[in-house]
Amino acid sequence: MAKLSLRNISKRFGDTQVIHDFSADVDNGEFLVLLGASGSGKSTLLRIIAGLTDASAGDVIFDNLRVNRQSPRERDVAFVFQSYALYPHLTVRENIAFPLALDKFKAWHHIPGVSAIARRIFGSSKDIAEQVAGVSSMLELDDYANRKPGGLSGGQRQRVALARALIRNPSMFLLDEPLSNLDAKLRAELRGEIVRLHKLTGKTFVYVTHDQVEAMTMATQIVILHNGIVQQHATPQEIYTRPANTYVARFIGSPPMNLMTAAVADGYATLGGLRLPAPEGLVLRTGTVTLGLRPEHLTVSADVGRPGLAGTVRRIEDLGADTLIGVQPDPALDLKLWELNQDDLIWIRQTGQTRLMAGDQCTVSLEARMASYFDSDTGVNLASSDQISDAGMLPLRG
Amino acid sequence: MTTKEAPPVLRTAAHKRRLKAPGTRNFSKPVRYLMLAALVLFSGFPLYWMLNTALSQDSELYGQAQGWWPHWERLADLGDVIGSVPIFKWLTNSMVIAGGTTLLSLIFAVLAGYALSRFKFHGKGAAGFLLFATQMLPEALLVVPIYALFASLGLLNGMGGLILANVAFTMPVSVWIIKGAIDAIPYEIEEAAAVDGCPRVTILSLVLTPLILPSIAAAAVINFFDGWNEFLLAKTFIAERDLWPASVGLASFIGQYLTSLNSVMAAALLFTLPALVFFLLVQRRIVSGLTAGSVKG
Ligand SMILES: Nc1ncnc2c1ncn2[C@@H]1O[C@H](COP(=O)(O)OP(=O)(O)OP(=O)(O)O)[C@@H](O)[C@H]1O
Ligand SMILES: [Mg+2]
Repeated sequence: MAKLSLRNISKRFGDTQVIHDFSADVDNGEFLVLLGASGSGKSTLLRIIAGLTDASAGDVIFDNLRVNRQSPRERDVAFVFQSYALYPHLTVRENIAFPLALDKFKAWHHIPGVSAIARRIFGSSKDIAEQVAGVSSMLELDDYANRKPGGLSGGQRQRVALARALIRNPSMFLLDEPLSNLDAKLRAELRGEIVRLHKLTGKTFVYVTHDQVEAMTMATQIVILHNGIVQQHATPQEIYTRPANTYVARFIGSPPMNLMTAAVADGYATLGGLRLPAPEGLVLRTGTVTLGLRPEHLTVSADVGRPGLAGTVRRIEDLGADTLIGVQPDPALDLKLWELNQDDLIWIRQTGQTRLMAGDQCTVSLEARMASYFDSDTGVNLASSDQISDAGMLPLRG
Repeated sequence: MTTKEAPPVLRTAAHKRRLKAPGTRNFSKPVRYLMLAALVLFSGFPLYWMLNTALSQDSELYGQAQGWWPHWERLADLGDVIGSVPIFKWLTNSMVIAGGTTLLSLIFAVLAGYALSRFKFHGKGAAGFLLFATQMLPEALLVVPIYALFASLGLLNGMGGLILANVAFTMPVSVWIIKGAIDAIPYEIEEAAAVDGCPRVTILSLVLTPLILPSIAAAAVINFFDGWNEFLLAKTFIAERDLWPASVGLASFIGQYLTSLNSVMAAALLFTLPALVFFLLVQRRIVSGLTAGSVKG
């Protein structure tokens, strides 16, 4: 059991800085998800926590104890490698039993001949065998127990790697994209299993993923990384409802938040002729502001006369329970969609099916009180900018 | 890498297909056996001819052409000749020397190969290069200074000194073979072992050594044969007849005025067999592909 604190962690490889001044506190029993695009430094950060990579600067603290100089073994962490890192000469069963067997013969495992025999004996000891069987059945590995990793598919190998970590009783679990190679059904199942295990053990988990569904469903806290810089560290709900900046707004949600540039005058934002009520407790400065609206906070109707943004339906994506509708705003509105809205459309999520068809004229109405306001220069959420600067995080334009 | 698991049947089929080297053609069974037979004949003939020569009449050897079949009736005579020298003692000595050389050299090579492969240290390039210093100079040139050195250290006339000298000559190649093998093993396997609680020595003995076994076996063959066949150092360092290895003993059959070819061949045959057995025991370990499936991609 351990509380994890990271203080001003930086990491550079040669000239490239991969992690910029990262700080975070993770309480005992939290499920922290590190979320970010490929190359954002998630694995590097996790390896620094595990002690597999040394930070260039900063401290890693476990329970008020600075562990910078401790080996992974001393830190007592379990780690799932993104690349699995299985032992090729051992069977699946032996791979999973390896950490337990190793614990049992600490005193003599340097002696080559003896250790091999000892590993055999302890590998087949009863309580180890029981634990291995438990974890293997949870991960549906029973059928492969006697195979070597070379004869397994990617997904099966990944599950062996996960099993080898979950069988232990460490101070902290560190998982680097442990579900990335599995099919949707198994992934959903294992998500549940990991969350259950987290509840059961009450241990701290640090979980790396680039999958926002995993992040949103599993995390108690999410850290969003972009090029080694923290964009936001908050609960999943907070991140979804109050993204700290436009990068987070675009990164979370599928389809992502619609971002549009609105003009501000007299404390009011105006969008395509619509005057929006000023958000509570927020004073808008005259000029422009970036307005963000989630697809589910917009509605579309064929009723052209209604107040709202006029446009033409361009795309309809039926997801079954939901329908996504892409609307091209009327050019006469002179609406500035923010940089990379998908296909330059405003996306709307509507439950159930729609009777609209591509090419139809329509009106989009907004639930203005759900809107987020971002600084149009820095991209920082105006509602949470105080919070951001307090935390000493770098504001970043998305 | 597939994201979905293929059904078992498909996967094993794919697996088998992968095992076959691209471009290999399937020959029919008789043809394959014929080719094998040709190979066996080719590599086995020298051995057979040694036997044949050992068991032939002197008249055949020095006069008319040698016959195709051994004269088994000569076996007894030959036994007498061989029995007149301590051939089994010599073979045992050879075994000790070759075995000792192999063992010592492999231990050093695994440790040095690991260091050269995984650690960063000053003078690493130079160290790797200097290992070959012994290989750069002809052995004959080094014999004299080594002799002088061993004389002052009291290492002459003993197998220990000979093993040390042999190791100096054979180890560098092994180091590089093993360094290459360790280079090819993903570092993450070691990291995984470290996380699982292995100290470094254990990683080396428990995880890496099994993985580089093919290369260790290859290095063992090289070392063993070097130790087994070594002549110059043994001849120079060891004066006492009972301490000779078989290579030196074998040479003693070649007299200045008279060489009995049959006895030389008979002794040579005896000399070859243990090495052959060693190779047959070790060769099945020299297979590759042990790390398959460890890491992604
Ligand atoms: N040993 C290294 N030497 C040099 N650069 C490195 C090294 N390891 C990582 N990097 C660089 O650091 C950056 C972050 O890498 P990291 O593996 O942490 O990314 P990631 O967020 O885990 O990405 P992914 O989702 O693709 O796994 C990358 O740009 C990568 O090229
Ligand atoms: Mg990664």
